[in-house]
Amino acid sequence: MSRLSERPGEVIDRTRPMDFSWNGKPYRGYAGDSIASALAASGVRVFSRSFKYHRPRGILTASFHDPNLMVQVGDEPNVRAGHRLVEEKMEVSAQNAWPSLGFDAKGVNRLLGRFLTPGFYYKTFMSPRSLWPWYQRVLARFAAGGVVGVDPQPGRYDHRYAHPDVLVAGGGPAGMAAAIDAAEAGAAVILVEEEHRLGGHLRWGDSDDLGALEELSAAVLSHPGIEVMVDSVVTGRYDHNWVAIAQRGVEGVDERLVKARVKCLVVATGTIERPYVFEGNDLPGVMLSTAVRRLINLHAVRPGERAVVLSANGPGDSAIADLEEAGVEVAEVIDARGDDTVIKASGRMGVQGVIDSRGRRHDADLLVTAVGWTTTTTLLNMAGDRPMYEPRAARYLSKSLPYDVLATGGIVGDGSTDQLVQHGTAIGREAARRASVVKFQWLTAVPTGVTRQPPDTSEIEVPPLEAERHPELFRSSTHGFVDYSEDVTSKDLFAAAAEGYDSMELAKRYTTVNMGPIQGKLEAVNAVAIHGEATGSSPLETSTTTWRPPYAPVSLGVLAGRQYEPVRYSVIQPWHERREAKPLVAGSWIRPEHYGDPVAEVTAVREAVGIIDVSPLGKIDLRGRDVPKLLEFVYVNKWSKLDVGKVRYGIMCNEDGVIFDDGVTGRLGADQYMMSSTSGGAAGVWNWLDDWLQTGFPDWDVKMTAVTDGYASINVAGPNSRELVGRLTEIDLRPEAFGYMEVRTGVVAGVPGCFLWRIGFTGELSYEIHVPSAYGLWVWERLLEKGEDLGVRAFGIEAQRIMRLEKGHFIVGQDTDGLTQGHGMGVDWAIKLDKPDFAGKPELMWQAERDDYRRLAAIQTEDPAIVPPEASQIVAGDVIKGRITSSRMSPTLGRSICLGQVDPDLAAPGSRLHIRLSDGVTVAARVLEHHAHFDPEGTRLRG
Amino acid sequence: MNQKARFSAWGLFKRGLTRSHWPRVWDHHELRDSYDVVIVGGGVHGLATAYYLARNHGITNVAVVEKSYIGSGGSGRNTAIVRSNYLTPEGSKFYDRSVELYEHLAADLNFNVMFEQRGHMTLAHSDSSLRTMRWRAEVNKLQGIDSSVIGPEEIKSLAPFLDTSDHPRYPILGALWHPPGGIVRHDAVVWGYARAAAALGVHIHQGTELTGIEVESGRVAVAQTSRGDIATSTIVNCTAGWASLVAKMAGVRLPIITRPLQAAVTEPVRQFLHPVVVSGSLHTYVSQTARGELVFGASVDPFASYSTRGSLEFATGLATHVLELMPAISKMRMLRQWAGLCDMTPDFGPIIGPTPVDGFYVDVGWGTYGFKAGPVAGESVAEMVANGRPGSLIEPFGLERFHAGTLTAEKGAAAVGH
Ligand SMILES: Cc1cc2nc3c(=O)[nH]c(=O)nc-3n(C[C@H](O)[C@H](O)[C@H](O)COP(=O)(O)OP(=O)(O)OC[C@H]3O[C@@H](n4cnc5c(N)ncnc54)[C@H](O)[C@@H]3O)c2cc1C
Repeated sequence: MSRLSERPGEVIDRTRPMDFSWNGKPYRGYAGDSIASALAASGVRVFSRSFKYHRPRGILTASFHDPNLMVQVGDEPNVRAGHRLVEEKMEVSAQNAWPSLGFDAKGVNRLLGRFLTPGFYYKTFMSPRSLWPWYQRVLARFAAGGVVGVDPQPGRYDHRYAHPDVLVAGGGPAGMAAAIDAAEAGAAVILVEEEHRLGGHLRWGDSDDLGALEELSAAVLSHPGIEVMVDSVVTGRYDHNWVAIAQRGVEGVDERLVKARVKCLVVATGTIERPYVFEGNDLPGVMLSTAVRRLINLHAVRPGERAVVLSANGPGDSAIADLEEAGVEVAEVIDARGDDTVIKASGRMGVQGVIDSRGRRHDADLLVTAVGWTTTTTLLNMAGDRPMYEPRAARYLSKSLPYDVLATGGIVGDGSTDQLVQHGTAIGREAARRASVVKFQWLTAVPTGVTRQPPDTSEIEVPPLEAERHPELFRSSTHGFVDYSEDVTSKDLFAAAAEGYDSMELAKRYTTVNMGPIQGKLEAVNAVAIHGEATGSSPLETSTTTWRPPYAPVSLGVLAGRQYEPVRYSVIQPWHERREAKPLVAGSWIRPEHYGDPVAEVTAVREAVGIIDVSPLGKIDLRGRDVPKLLEFVYVNKWSKLDVGKVRYGIMCNEDGVIFDDGVTGRLGADQYMMSSTSGGAAGVWNWLDDWLQTGFPDWDVKMTAVTDGYASINVAGPNSRELVGRLTEIDLRPEAFGYMEVRTGVVAGVPGCFLWRIGFTGELSYEIHVPSAYGLWVWERLLEKGEDLGVRAFGIEAQRIMRLEKGHFIVGQDTDGLTQGHGMGVDWAIKLDKPDFAGKPELMWQAERDDYRRLAAIQTEDPAIVPPEASQIVAGDVIKGRITSSRMSPTLGRSICLGQVDPDLAAPGSRLHIRLSDGVTVAARVLEHHAHFDPEGTRLRG
Repeated sequence: MNQKARFSAWGLFKRGLTRSHWPRVWDHHELRDSYDVVIVGGGVHGLATAYYLARNHGITNVAVVEKSYIGSGGSGRNTAIVRSNYLTPEGSKFYDRSVELYEHLAADLNFNVMFEQRGHMTLAHSDSSLRTMRWRAEVNKLQGIDSSVIGPEEIKSLAPFLDTSDHPRYPILGALWHPPGGIVRHDAVVWGYARAAAALGVHIHQGTELTGIEVESGRVAVAQTSRGDIATSTIVNCTAGWASLVAKMAGVRLPIITRPLQAAVTEPVRQFLHPVVVSGSLHTYVSQTARGELVFGASVDPFASYSTRGSLEFATGLATHVLELMPAISKMRMLRQWAGLCDMTPDFGPIIGPTPVDGFYVDVGWGTYGFKAGPVAGESVAEMVANGRPGSLIEPFGLERFHAGTLTAEKGAAAVGH
């Protein structure tokens, strides 16, 4: 092949050469060249080796959807060389060839082809079983595709939202016309085109086509109402016209995902030319008519020297003219509209000869086929359409579309450029009108009090666009490749049918036809037709093809967009960082685990005073008359008589009686409550309450506001806590004025709007101060400053966990699991089965009648120095009798302490247990009387 | 199976030489007026049950009725992960038997189901999930199952593409490592069972929908299908996502909600990921097939639906999570996404056993994790149908547990579907 002199419609810029490499050797193309056209212009014929038989493959469609043109570009695998433009210094290499494209060692598979029948791997490699891992490694080596590296250049990706009135997918004549007229009618339009330029098939057409293209694209590009995205693909149409576009060529990023809520979608994605199945149809040099027209007219590349053309349609005939003009000798034209056809193409690394159905052999290095079109119905399928096969036109046509989706262009029918434009124009106007109807529906779906003018409801008349008659041509009398990327032949489809895989779905799965990176775009219709031939049925008429998203493969990078996972920090985080707190991931929060010495932190709290940042605690402000009813319902305990100023501990269970959260709720005012939940459970509790209020009790007067981030929360704990807090507030802290389990509101360190509750997870006298978050850090620092002489020290989660374990308080999710119901956790006193109703009550009533559930128990090992790791199993012989849920070395007691879940027969105080450590050794332990290892009476807390 | 039909390398060679076709894997049959057992659902559970009924119990007058083609349900849509590192003793014992059956399935069925024991790795991103991993490992060890907790270094050496560097949000702190876990070719399992069952005389009726069940004085009497009525005393419901609809035909209410589960696959690339990698916190798991594609799965959609359409949110969320784990693969492309239906029970345990209607058995509630259980469930259900009562392996999974309050505790271990 070689470069032709200038073509009227060429897209290359001959003044800008591009130097790149192919398999390590230097090549030159021009700006505007695809990788494939640049290589073809330099005489490259073989671009890849096929997946299974390692057959040489060359240009077939010269477009994005060319199965033979998948290459590696730098660290990017599976790049479509028929689409991607060459760039300076690009490093391109062939995939799937070893050691080289010219000599491929795995090509021996070609000879073995007759033994590698479909599903051959299901039939062998079974014995001896010991060899199976070895077979696996051999099979794995045959995996197709490019390579990914451990440390590639990171790609840059982004997301954008768009809200167009009309989105047109496909920038051919019909699509462009639709965009223009929709925009003229006032709609905000986005026009998306997969290729690098607008125009569709007009681009490689004659001078009339080029003229029309010029006019249309100028109108599109200059229209202020149209945003044009080229080199961009509509990858999917999801429910409610939620449309995804993978956009390339945006400044600053490699790719961008545009998510558009479209009022009316116009699908103008046209048709794709279909290959023909015959012996040798995959040889380099067998090309579709659109491929040669692209090569000649867009890239000025002569696709061969001597051609045979098999044509069944007008565009195929035009290819003949193009070839002649490009100086290709057209040795023979076989008119497929009659009885003639191609039987075989022969050659080793490319076409050398063609045998036709009259038995004549033609010398040729190029065989061009034009045997029909496949409609690109993916987006229609996704809109719920089930396109039907129309034998007269030999292609699938749209059957029924939802109101907000329209189709135009080749996907609907055929016609002259004028007819296509007329159809597109009408569809564009109709799309704009429907968009306004949809918009009206959206705007009036919510009561706003604004009166709106209903839009015009008279449909625009759309001129018919008939699909032309076209002969049904799928396969010649010989067998050839149906699916190039999967190396599936028509013979394989016959074999599959004969073996009993006689429905298309089974045949597809068995042979893997349609399963490759081309997603069936080229081969699906041939596959169905040949399967029908093999089974003696006519499945084309009865089947529809379901194309699953995405329309074209889309990078994980662009789907993800900017890679970030939000994390949450408390407002006191700057201080934690200065003190080099060890970060701990707790759900979405990053919290201080400790500040270097958790044991010293414990000692400070037990002997003096400590402060901990508990801002992540879930906080929900509840107001309204019916809050008590809500509390009564979601908590298992009694809530009706909670006086203002009081706080109560509560447990929540799911409908199945399983504990899912605990926390305290305080009554701040007559109709105002503050609920707290665990940090990890905050979102779940919120959803739970909201669910019940919306579905169970919509008439209750309860207003909820999530205020977790609104308050910074600081727990001040230890014998000196009253003294310390007293130095910062006027609130009367005397025990008789502010008792245990009470709440007060007031000013702390000059900050108004704080509330304090006297509770304690650590077992020490403590005050939990909730400060409007902007002042959290301020109050924290004041506490440290004012408490210096009191021995104040910040403590982290680890110290808190040790202390709560010393006190025997359980943590939901750690000491409970997905089946832990209310009873058995030492809180039976709280479960009020005599309440009329509450979430989980029926299951808890069942549970109360049984005795077979595990109990939470405080456990101490007989050897005080051994701390059994959490999750160690409690065993009797080999039988599991429970597990250690929490364990630590207690600095206060100087011994190991545990909480665990144990079977009822071992739960009684004093029971002797055996704990199996991870190395298999068992240690003896004992169940305590109380859950608390330390201060079971709680004298310190209430002091 | 007669000798001519047996698959082997020799057979492939001979047929390659003579270019002759293999005999049919299964035949089309007229519907008989009556069958001893009618199995509803041509997925792995239904077909395995049919096979073991015929092979282990000599019950061959069996029909499998499938409304579409075999494997059209979850069995042809799942991500084919097989493992036995479950959390409860009853769970791990059950699945361990399944892994054992899978290990010998190819030879047993004379159909290579391509069971690749690549190892199964569940990542822990927080100390609480690390604790759960330890819990599972400890339970597994006591059951004799190969399962342990490994640290970041070993993780990196097993799966170099995982980003074990310092992450703020999802650090990789450790993993539960289960070497016998792996992936299997789902279609091959379905076809292997169908072919072996057919060879023993079972009728597989594709394109045949169960439309009603006639119950006479508390007993199953007639299975009504789209191709006619079948007199039978035994119906086994193996319809997964449609299970509650079929049970309703017999007047049985199941505590099941059907929810979609989505999955996706990328274009193939050369092998780079050997083990199956799961992240519960990121609701994602990934494996690379022998063909080179990455197969991704996630958690069930949070709503009840019978729709099998994929969503954009799934695709974007999935990609975000996968790249969090393996940032190096951002240039790989997603090729296809799809969804299947999952029959979810309140405790994430299956429901296997008799029902209040005599002769109406269920093997359902397989949710997001039932493919791996196909062989053992088939074996156990066949045994139950033959003996009239459930054996010890499946006893914990009876329908009555929802009344007795003895739920199984797999919620933790099965939270990300697979
Ligand atoms: C995306 C996804 C990923 C998964 N990943 C895994 C995994 O990695 N590992 C794992 O172990 N499990 C996984 N699962 C779960 C697994 O697929 C299912 O649990 C399993 O396939 C269930 O098999 P089955 O034979 O019971 O049901 P199915 O295979 O669903 O078969 C039920 C059949 O019943 C038929 N049917 C329904 N109603 C009727 C009727 N009225 N008459 C006749 N026929 C009827 C259906 O057409 C269907 O073919 C996954 C599921 C999904 C959706």
